[in-house]
Amino acid sequence: MSSPLLEARGLVKSYDDGRIAALRGVDVRIEAGEYVTISGPSGSGKSTLLHMLGGLDLPTRGEVLFRGSPLGSAVDLDTYRSRQVGFIFQAFYLLPTLCAAENVQVAMLAMNERANHRAERAAALLEEMGLKDRMRHYPNELSAGERQRVAIARALANDPAILLADEPTGNLDTANTAHIMEILRGIREQRGMTLVIVTHEKEIASSAPRHIRIRDGRIEA
Amino acid sequence: MARHLSFTGFAWKNLRRRRLRTLLTLVGITMGIGAFVALVGFSRAFEHEWMRLYTSSGTDIAVVETNFMNTSLDESIGHQIGAVPDVAVAVPMIFNLLDLTPDVNALVYGWRADSYELDSLILLSGRRFRDGQPEVILGKNLADDLKKRSGDSLPIQGTNFTVTGVFHGGTALEEGAVIMPLDQLQTISSMQGKVTAFHVRLRPVPAGEAYDRYVKRAEAEIEAAVPGVHADPAADRAANNQLVALAHSVAWGTSSIALLIGILGIANTMAMSVFERTREIGILRALGWKGRHVILLILTEAAALGLAGGFLGIAAGWTALLVLSAMPQTASIVSASVAPLHLAESLLIAIAAGLVAGAYPAWRAARLSPVEALRYE
Ligand SMILES: Nc1ncnc2c1ncn2[C@@H]1O[C@H](COP(=O)(O)OP(=O)(O)O)[C@@H](O)[C@H]1O
Ligand SMILES: [Mg+2]
Repeated sequence: MSSPLLEARGLVKSYDDGRIAALRGVDVRIEAGEYVTISGPSGSGKSTLLHMLGGLDLPTRGEVLFRGSPLGSAVDLDTYRSRQVGFIFQAFYLLPTLCAAENVQVAMLAMNERANHRAERAAALLEEMGLKDRMRHYPNELSAGERQRVAIARALANDPAILLADEPTGNLDTANTAHIMEILRGIREQRGMTLVIVTHEKEIASSAPRHIRIRDGRIEA
Repeated sequence: MARHLSFTGFAWKNLRRRRLRTLLTLVGITMGIGAFVALVGFSRAFEHEWMRLYTSSGTDIAVVETNFMNTSLDESIGHQIGAVPDVAVAVPMIFNLLDLTPDVNALVYGWRADSYELDSLILLSGRRFRDGQPEVILGKNLADDLKKRSGDSLPIQGTNFTVTGVFHGGTALEEGAVIMPLDQLQTISSMQGKVTAFHVRLRPVPAGEAYDRYVKRAEAEIEAAVPGVHADPAADRAANNQLVALAHSVAWGTSSIALLIGILGIANTMAMSVFERTREIGILRALGWKGRHVILLILTEAAALGLAGGFLGIAAGWTALLVLSAMPQTASIVSASVAPLHLAESLLIAIAAGLVAGAYPAWRAARLSPVEALRYE
């Protein structure tokens, strides 16, 4: 049997010298192109799991395999994040000093892309997000929904294999929530990307073919 | 078409975000570089003028006392030096820095009336002094400052001297100097029978021998013939001159302190800036930036501060030199010109200052754990 795109084996993550156990032994397999939602109570370890899957941090025990190779040893974390992963956060996390187009380009700065190509790609992605006339706007000049669309364009900048979204609609109203979810599902269908969304909204959680519940750092059966 | 975002463009935007702080930081490094340009530029110009003082009169070697603390030689050893085969002529001289008026102090030279050194001066009015007489000639700048002309009298250390002539010297140092008979200067400075140095002109360089080798050989001959003296090539003598050495050490000392303050300013600003941007650094890491990209960003910002301070400091330092060269008290020894090499060196020091200052904050920024940085409020 071939390796899945992502596989977590026996993930344990503790903080403060083991006093806080964020993950207590998590096993997950995620196939290429899959759409998975993760939900659970606040503090149950959802963000921590997403961070481990996205190579932002290493687990205390266990390992994450990308196409069968362990992150942090066979696969360099920085390289993995820049080429294979696009993160989307609840609070958007745009850089306030950069306009929309620059916020998207900043993700490509660490890659050996030509400057012209970076600018063109950022423009194309923002246009795809329906932000053609917002490219020069700064984050504080954009609505919440627009900011999240800039963040999605930024996550797509390096054409990753996996999109990891941590409560992407947590700061949005109903209309914008629907819009963002439509965009995320559209991206997955058109580009065949793997999509993992952490959410506490039942409607979103159940919209995916596969829904993982997590409680106290463990996956619920 | 959309604008490109470059590393430097990003760094620039980060610096512009806290304009006041960036400006204050620039003031600090500008003062450091400005001090370097002005003071070190001044001390080098001073050394250069000093060197020209020797070269313009044709002095090949200066003979001085070996012992650094004892700055005088016996005038009587002059004939021993003169007897060395390659020496054409050895003339005794004294130089000193004396207060002429409360505002004006000047270099005072004591030469014999027949010294070859007088030949390189151009008398603008009057005549030369005579040995044994209370007579002086004044450099043009000094005469103007003192408002003295040929025939006027000039009291120096309680003795009334007559200004017999005003001359145009080959260097700014001479333009601001007083020259009097050696015996007169020995008397007023209680150095009877003593001199500061002998200036030596060598015979023509023998065919087939390089000038530098010839001078070296002549130095050895002089030192062998006259125990207890030190023979220096005229050019080195300028650099080893106590006044020049003092000017250098004051200049380097002061500008090092000013630079250090400038560097600490940049370091403080960059450390604060990294601290404020903890979350943003986490975001960049989440986007795939490696630690070295973060280091590059912070160092670019710090180096940009240094470079901008370098340009401003050059402007400030140059202005200071222009002002000094226009002031009567300092005009004689400050030239307003700055060597291009000195400017290039100042810019390099400015950039290096930025990099040194940015190194620790950059390293700290790169070491932040991406997750911790993202969670940072
Ligand atoms: N960097 C950290 N340091 C200390 N405790 C942490 C850290 N990150 C997460 N935690 C703790 O781990 C637990 C799980 O956090 P998290 O994964 O953010 O939960 P969720 O996203 O499900 O709300 C929480 O108790 C949280 O306080
Ligand atoms: Mg969370």
